[in-house]
Amino acid sequence: MIVTPKILARLVAIVLLGVLLQLSFFSRVTVFHTSPDVLPALVVSLGLLGGTMTGAVTGFSVGFLLDCLLIAPLGGGSLVLLSTGYLAGLFRERFEIHSQLVAPLLCMVLTLFAELGFGAVQLMLGIDSSVSTLVIRDMLIKSVFAFFLGWPIYLGVKRALRPALVEEPAVRRSRPPTVLGA
Amino acid sequence: MYRKQVRRRRAVLALLVVGSFVLLTVTYGRGSNSVQRGVSTIFSPVQSVANRALKPARDLVNWFDSTFDARGRNGRLHTELEAARKQSVGAQTALAENAQLRKLLALDRGGAIPSGYKPVTGEVIGRSPTVWFSDVTIDVGSGSGVSVNNPVVNGDGLVGTVSAVIGGSATVTLIADGSSAVSAKVVPLGVQGVIRPAVGDPGSLILDFIDSAKHVHRGQAVVTAGWRAQGLSSRFPPNIPIGEVTHASIEEQEAQQQVEVRPFADLRNLELVQVLTGGSR
Repeated sequence: MIVTPKILARLVAIVLLGVLLQLSFFSRVTVFHTSPDVLPALVVSLGLLGGTMTGAVTGFSVGFLLDCLLIAPLGGGSLVLLSTGYLAGLFRERFEIHSQLVAPLLCMVLTLFAELGFGAVQLMLGIDSSVSTLVIRDMLIKSVFAFFLGWPIYLGVKRALRPALVEEPAVRRSRPPTVLGA
Repeated sequence: MYRKQVRRRRAVLALLVVGSFVLLTVTYGRGSNSVQRGVSTIFSPVQSVANRALKPARDLVNWFDSTFDARGRNGRLHTELEAARKQSVGAQTALAENAQLRKLLALDRGGAIPSGYKPVTGEVIGRSPTVWFSDVTIDVGSGSGVSVNNPVVNGDGLVGTVSAVIGGSATVTLIADGSSAVSAKVVPLGVQGVIRPAVGDPGSLILDFIDSAKHVHRGQAVVTAGWRAQGLSSRFPPNIPIGEVTHASIEEQEAQQQVEVRPFADLRNLELVQVLTGGSR
């Protein structure tokens, strides 16, 4: 990904929009008694499109902003989401798998990873609670949501960052090339 | 060039990780800090607008979720209701059965069943389909010691006599049957007569052939007479409650020598009965 000031502005806008949507919409709707968490999927999409650095930095930013707005101890969300973004970027850099299922599957797996990470941070911070089956059910359903929401999020982010993407194929020509002498 | 790039990436990553841990260490347990307050102040108006703008979409999603949830809950509650209803019916049946058994026990302990008789408890498993309800089938038979002409009672009083027996069941002819006749007496007067069914009224009996010199009054109880004379005896032991006098006009008693009696036992709704086997007949 070629990060120009314009692309940087878009990245900031994507991060802000994602956090706002999460707090104002996704966190306040319940489907099967669970609220979807789209932020890991967003970070995964950014990591898949931009690589480890983009994933890690945007993950850190999203986590930082989230912690600020939720008045939670700073750093917890950042640590989890930067790891998530980094892993997504690492996948892009290490594996040459080009399938439409990569984005949703990775969103699902890494959302589960992120939710486990959030739980681990909470336990690390001394929240004294037992891990009930409800928490595990919540995590699993969130990761299933991420599978279904991952693809549109990935496509949306890809569209927004299209000018910066190196591997984006050239725009299809509207007219066939003129062959001289034909 | 590539190595330099890798080193820079690693450095940034390490910086971010270390930064996260530093932030955690610094801010943990100290409540909100100035950074959080500042960010919240900036974002509050935007969040407020987003909140209002997204409310219809939120409500829509939540409505779908609530509807699906309500449907699931409805089904679950229906199942629970069905189970509870079954339990309730079972409990009511058990209560009714318990009440009948208590009555039978009370009849037994109250001395109404004379010594020498061995009560065998049975359940009504079949009824006569006619309007007269003149006989019922019970689930005890000769295998339990039941034999023809054994008196049959329930917790309220006399029910009838056994008219046919096979191994595991017996037919009981009720005292409301047209062929039934039970020698009875009115207590405490001791006026004797014969209990017969009232023609055309299966819920009522007639105490016939009474002594017209002694006047029977409404509300007085009628019990089995249980006579014994010259080697012959009644099928029924004495003093088993039959019913109470419901209509006893002096004119009827003097002209027809009869009074109307309502049986204590509800002959239309018999569930548990006792066959008085053995005895001194």
